[in-house]
Amino acid sequence: MKKYVKMILAASLLYGCTNGNIAAVDNRANIDNSAKPAVVKNNSAANGQSIFAVSDTFQTQNKRNLLLSSLSGKPTVIGMIFTRCGAACPKITADMKNIGEKLNANREKVNFVLVSFDTERDNAGQLQMFANEMGLDKDWLLLHGSEEAVRTLSVLLNVQYEKDAEGNFSHSNVISVLDKNGVLAFQKEGLDPDQKEMTGKIEELLK
Amino acid sequence: MKTVIAILFFIICGPCMSQPNKNIAASKMVKIDGGSFKTFYVSKTDKPIIVKPFLMDEHAVTNVEFLEFVKANPEWSKSKVKRLFADSNYLEHWKTDFDIGESNKNIYNSPVVNVSWFAARAYCAWKNKRLPAIAEWEIAGNAPPKNTAYTSITNYIMQWYEKPSLPVLPNVKSTYCNTYGLYDMHGLIWEWTFDFNSFISTGDSRNTTNDDNNLFCAGASINVTNREDYAAFLRYGFRGSLRGDYCVSSLGFRCVKNIPITNKL
Repeated sequence: MKKYVKMILAASLLYGCTNGNIAAVDNRANIDNSAKPAVVKNNSAANGQSIFAVSDTFQTQNKRNLLLSSLSGKPTVIGMIFTRCGAACPKITADMKNIGEKLNANREKVNFVLVSFDTERDNAGQLQMFANEMGLDKDWLLLHGSEEAVRTLSVLLNVQYEKDAEGNFSHSNVISVLDKNGVLAFQKEGLDPDQKEMTGKIEELLK
Repeated sequence: MKTVIAILFFIICGPCMSQPNKNIAASKMVKIDGGSFKTFYVSKTDKPIIVKPFLMDEHAVTNVEFLEFVKANPEWSKSKVKRLFADSNYLEHWKTDFDIGESNKNIYNSPVVNVSWFAARAYCAWKNKRLPAIAEWEIAGNAPPKNTAYTSITNYIMQWYEKPSLPVLPNVKSTYCNTYGLYDMHGLIWEWTFDFNSFISTGDSRNTTNDDNNLFCAGASINVTNREDYAAFLRYGFRGSLRGDYCVSSLGFRCVKNIPITNKL
């Protein structure tokens, strides 16, 4: 009986913790928004909060090497996927496409980036094929990188993922928006058909 | 009785004790056999993860060891570190950037805590090492204690979890030594792992996962392979609650590395 109580306690602790985790993401987003004018003014690498500080090199679907810092100057919508994913990943991609469409003329003022969890199988060719399948135009960046680089990015974007024995991935579904300085400005967890909130945030960043 | 246990501990753990205290910063590594590893929460149909043999620090990285790293890499000092990589609790127990503090003398050889995942990784990389994967850490940590006073690792861990934390963190090598020769895998601090943000569960897993049925939060532990192992619940839960920039007063790390090819038998 005592054991049961402990297990329930443990389970509720886990639940509490993960909730707290998500709340923390939201807090940060708020702080970043309020700090934005100062960031723009002094351009001081966004008070050390910029994800562009990461020095890992990624490769695009066109086999170009890319540092995240090269995304600076425009807000970036970024998602993490793997191309052999059954259901959730095409959905993330579709959601991001929707965001792009809703931005209309502002679409070209925003970077759209997908980064693969699958460091073994998702090479440039595979990513290009996925782009074609999903109807992603050449303005999209599909990136792959080392295990270290991908894990680091996942930690920075609060994306959880785990590889199984078959080489597939369980992962949380998060779409993130970085401001033009690479600071995490907004995140949406879960597959949500309504991107109004997301596009609203992006338009704020473009102001 | 306590003396008897202490003597027993000394005799049984003799080989682990062979390093004199002055060499405590030498960060000796021990070989951990690989094997297959199954997380406690997976369904029976899931295949186990194969873990290759590796080397692991015999004790957690200490304040003194971490100070060497900070001196060599000032960008990781308290005042220089980027907020992206460590929150404001980073090394908050240290007096200044390059001084642990005279009043902290008794924790020089205690595990360094209040370090972020990014800082821990940077330290390991500086040593040509890396952070252990969860599977590696769990295989290493599940080895039984050499000390016969504890017949069950789970009982020992639960005793630790139940105790309030001590006002001063004890030195490394102050708890037990396991059969690999690793010290304090449980009982002193929690430790960072490379893939701590592995997908286990999130608070709103109901609408975001592709694996709902394997999750214990929503599924009330139906698929837990070893229902006894509530200690692991806590450990996985703690990891799941972390973020890479978090600096926590009960969380440190130790490094691992691959076995050099020339040393392979």
